[in-house]
Amino acid sequence: MENFEPSIIAFVCNWCTYTAADLAGTSRLYYPKNIRLIRVMCTGMVDPQYIIKAFLEGADGVLVSGCHPGDCHYINGNYKARRRIKLLKEILPQFGFESERLRLTWIGASDGIQFAEIMQELVSQIKALGPNAAKLKMVI
Amino acid sequence: MKKKIGKALVVGAGISGIRSALDLAEIGYGVTLIDRSPHLGGILSQLDYQFPTDRCGMCKMLPLVDRDVSSQYCLRKGLFHENIEILLSTELSSVEGEPGHFHVRLRQKSNWVDPDLCVGCGACAQVCPVEVADTFNAGLTSRKAIYLPVPHAIPNPYIIDMSACTRCGACEAVCPTGAIRLSEQERKKFRILVVDDELIVRDSLKAWFDDEAGFTVDTSESGPDALDKLAERSYQLMLLDIKMPGMDGVQVLQKAKELSPDLQVLMMTAYATVETAVEAMKIGAIDYLIKPFDTETLIPRVLRVYEEIEVSKGREIEVGSLVFCGGTSYFDPAVGKNPFGYKELPGVVTSLEFERILSGSGPSQGKLVRPNDGKPIKKVAWIQCVGSRDLQTNSDFCSNICCMHSIKEALVAKEKSGGDLETAIFYMDMRTFGKSYQRYREEAERSHGVRFERGRVHSIILDKPADETGGDLKLSYTDSSGTVHEEHFDMTVLAVGQRPSIGAEESAKALDIPLNPWGYWETEPFSMTRSRRDGIVLGGAYSGLKDISESVIQASSAALSASRVIHSSGGGLAPETKIVPENADLLRERPKILVTLCTCDDAFSKFIKGQELVSRLERDPAVNAIEFVERTCTATGWESIAGLAEKHRPNRVLIGACLPYVYARKIGELSRKSGINPSLMDVVDIRSSLFPMLGPEEEADSKQCAAMAESTLLAGLAKLKRANPSPAPGVRIHQRALVVGGGIAGMTAALAIADHGFEVDLIEKENQLGGNLSWLKSTLSGHSTHDLLNDTVTKIEKHPLIQVHLDSKVVTSFGQVGHFLTTTQDKDGQPESFEHGVVILATGGEEAATSSFNHGKNEAIITQKELEQGLEHNSIDTEKMESIVMIQCVDSRMEPRNYCSRVCCSSALKHALALKEKNANVAIYIFYRDMMSYGFMETYFTKARKAGIIFIQYNVNEAPEVVIPDNAERNGKAVQVHGYDPILGRKVEIDADLLVLSTGIVPNLPSGLAASFGASIDQDGFFAEADTKWRPVDSMKEGVFACGLAHSPRSIEETIATAEAAAQRSLRILSQEYLSSGKVVASVRHSLCSLCERCIEVCPYEARSLDRDLEKILVNPVMCQGCGSCAAICPNSASVLEGFHEEQIFETIDALLEGTI
Repeated sequence: MENFEPSIIAFVCNWCTYTAADLAGTSRLYYPKNIRLIRVMCTGMVDPQYIIKAFLEGADGVLVSGCHPGDCHYINGNYKARRRIKLLKEILPQFGFESERLRLTWIGASDGIQFAEIMQELVSQIKALGPNAAKLKMVI
Repeated sequence: MKKKIGKALVVGAGISGIRSALDLAEIGYGVTLIDRSPHLGGILSQLDYQFPTDRCGMCKMLPLVDRDVSSQYCLRKGLFHENIEILLSTELSSVEGEPGHFHVRLRQKSNWVDPDLCVGCGACAQVCPVEVADTFNAGLTSRKAIYLPVPHAIPNPYIIDMSACTRCGACEAVCPTGAIRLSEQERKKFRILVVDDELIVRDSLKAWFDDEAGFTVDTSESGPDALDKLAERSYQLMLLDIKMPGMDGVQVLQKAKELSPDLQVLMMTAYATVETAVEAMKIGAIDYLIKPFDTETLIPRVLRVYEEIEVSKGREIEVGSLVFCGGTSYFDPAVGKNPFGYKELPGVVTSLEFERILSGSGPSQGKLVRPNDGKPIKKVAWIQCVGSRDLQTNSDFCSNICCMHSIKEALVAKEKSGGDLETAIFYMDMRTFGKSYQRYREEAERSHGVRFERGRVHSIILDKPADETGGDLKLSYTDSSGTVHEEHFDMTVLAVGQRPSIGAEESAKALDIPLNPWGYWETEPFSMTRSRRDGIVLGGAYSGLKDISESVIQASSAALSASRVIHSSGGGLAPETKIVPENADLLRERPKILVTLCTCDDAFSKFIKGQELVSRLERDPAVNAIEFVERTCTATGWESIAGLAEKHRPNRVLIGACLPYVYARKIGELSRKSGINPSLMDVVDIRSSLFPMLGPEEEADSKQCAAMAESTLLAGLAKLKRANPSPAPGVRIHQRALVVGGGIAGMTAALAIADHGFEVDLIEKENQLGGNLSWLKSTLSGHSTHDLLNDTVTKIEKHPLIQVHLDSKVVTSFGQVGHFLTTTQDKDGQPESFEHGVVILATGGEEAATSSFNHGKNEAIITQKELEQGLEHNSIDTEKMESIVMIQCVDSRMEPRNYCSRVCCSSALKHALALKEKNANVAIYIFYRDMMSYGFMETYFTKARKAGIIFIQYNVNEAPEVVIPDNAERNGKAVQVHGYDPILGRKVEIDADLLVLSTGIVPNLPSGLAASFGASIDQDGFFAEADTKWRPVDSMKEGVFACGLAHSPRSIEETIATAEAAAQRSLRILSQEYLSSGKVVASVRHSLCSLCERCIEVCPYEARSLDRDLEKILVNPVMCQGCGSCAAICPNSASVLEGFHEEQIFETIDALLEGTI
């Protein structure tokens, strides 16, 4: 597992984290390329089934990242996400996924540096967890 | 969207400028938005956190209807709107003409880097040898001479700071796209003629400007010779000596100007002939230089001329109105006595510098360390009123925002430190006069432990404490009793006051706008936005600094004033409908996708032209063609895409390039050219995946980078394949407004709307119009409110489009933006119904009744309103009075009415000054908690103290007591007030003939009325804004607005501003017959819907409703903002968000994870 390169799906909100990711990119900040961004309008629209689907399709980690509390363009979408993720973390182990594989963060639009830092941190956390065990068990 | 022929110029692209520009653009006017700085956003680009939410949320200002015409990303990073042309580094050079038809000349400075060519790679900044202080970080960090003015802006080309640049050319050599135009060749084309009879002058100037500065310099020893040279060839600049034998400089100048009128001339003179030089300027010289020359000033002066004439692009436009949204400057605490050691002591910073320390993009990435020595910050002091409320620094005004931003900084700093931070704010009066600000302050004190210390810091010295705790800055301060204390801090933040913006005075002079006594632009009485000159309006801090919500209100009000001028001069005519490309029923057509891949000037060719990527994309049957485009970011690039679309005839286009949101605007253009619906085109970012591969350091990563780019493209395809081509839905607008409340707010709003040609019904419950103005007499600044009332009522009565309904009350209302149905009842109970597209709630407020301080028990105890009425009707005889006491904050700023009413301190000052003027012998005592004489009202506070009025500060738990003595007991005085005077340090007993109570304002907005329109009210009964900062007059429910006292306590002038702002927000809806939504909008698949109504609950915009007759959940597409909460909550996947269908997201996930299992 030395060379394990995790695949991570990140649901990022249009208003904050997506632009932060872009800022990290244009500012030439290094962040691992294991992360695949899916732009959503708001973290409040991230349906738990998207997250479970990502894990079932082999994602080693899923990140949901939006605006800081109080900053949400849609008033309270990030709070909705926060509740939903908390519950989802409770039930993920029943599907065979460690709850640590799912993470929720707030990264504001001008936080390019923080975006890069969190991505590096996330990749090393998921590396420490090892590959998504469920995908190895899957029979097609 | 309809386009009007009217145009406006908005000067200043800070928060106010953006708001005004958007407001004008949204009702269809063309707007040119200029800013002299090279970036948008003004000071807000530097502030990450804004009170009272301590967060941002600026994006909430973006259009809520017809959203796709503007940018849909973080507004702090950038903006575009189809109707707004943004010109940065641009200044206004002249204005001529009349309201409705101004000819405006603009001058755009070159930034020396072609923004269309710059790809922001940063290679230039790496090689630039110059280091200067970075203004973005308030000078706390350094930057290169070639730099990004705001690191997070979109788009973000580099610019060169010519005052710092040494023109070494290093950047030009490394620029991969040739964007930098610093070339010596360019300078060589700039010809200077030096005319002087002294050889040494000619030689040294030639040496400086030719050999060193790189221009082409010719010299002449006499006037006639110079004229010969001028006749031979053209020169751009002449440096001309005045005193020469034979023909003198002035004569040469005259002849030279005849020969070539465009020639710029700088006179050279000794002190003795300065007057002649000034004369020369009258006949066309641009300036004069005094001998002997000093290279430090001479070279930059000539460079400035070079920049101005050679590289700045002149531009002439015609506009109907000008909106000035200039910003503010700040007091420099290093100037003068500098008692706080700013720039001398480590850890003494200004509020803006501290803001940068807190910021994630700041000098320490948001870590709380001192910028100069890296010492961790454990204890911070804020000093208020540095350069405000201070006669010594010539600032007899309050800067309005510093109290609040210091509290905010303390709270944010505490949060960042994780609680391990001591904070103290040293203040005179805590001016928390905004709507929720008093509670914010108390919360900071009570729940977060911010210390508030009433007192004055007189000096700071460096003093290392023995025990290493408490910091090395020793503050000495005096508390209100006069006792001196000393305390150590790590950092001291100086809350610096406002100063008139640089250039504001000159512009005022040029435009013939008067300045007020404090040096700011003066507005007309009762208006925060209209200047003396019709058609020139004010939207920003040119008339004094304001917090965000007030700035936004003022900016909308300014937009209204501007729009009124444009409309009345015929600018509102000639609607022009946008051509929406006709779509065949593409849902039935198989997707044929054209994929274009940007090679980024060949840089990525070897990665993307490889067969692997192309063959993977070709495997997708939806892909029609794959083409390579050399540089998508250039105009040629887009033309070639349009050509490819013509060639391949796809029905969808996927563009692999960079910066997807920057291209949203280009997609609109491409759509017009190719006829493909913009929602069927998408740009995905492959550049950030591929870029690391160019550098040597991440070579090992290259496989991953390629994989990332591939999956990005596959995900883009997945999304595009299922994109819905049907046009965005909308709603029809009933173009008529309803205004509830006939006070000054309601009347102003009604007039503003009616003046734009729309009918208005004005409902008033009383039998006459006027509200509180019917009892008010004058204002603190001495303007008669009678005249205002009479003028306004006359205009209302004469207006053909306004129907006034007196003695009427709203019974019920239902409906949504575009179409409301409201029923009212008159005094006889007769119902009347109104159909309208928007509603403005202007139900007002009134002075709060009280029984505190024995009010009602003695006729000598009255309220401020009773005093005002008594003075007008002469029912109170103050002539014989010897002593009058006023008590401020009666039942206010304490629960349950824990807010400041804003007007009571000014009423008290107004009455106290008037009483003193009538009878100089009367003693007046004012018991106050914090004098809220914000802004320029401070002058009257100073005046009152000078007039001998005694101000006694009290704390809420030591409020004065009022005793009504027996008649015989006390010299015939009616009341006795017992209080504590902190300055005397003892209790005082004051016998008074009259006691005046300032009880504050309560709103008059019944919850039933608000609820019938779908508006919410806050805990104090005022209208609850959709967002206190960014949408201050909107309700959460679109189409419902509020203004005046029902909105918040405020002065007449401020009330009128809210009314105009509410009218402006309404016009954005009323001015269209059919209002389009954004493309990303939710809908319901009724066959799957189980009517559980959870989506209705979860929608933050109240866009959903249950139609019981149809048994369907309906979505109002204009109210829906596309957040997708409904789609996530729906248990049946019946609720869907356009562009984010489940299938699209699932396929995107599949594409991104391809090959992982």
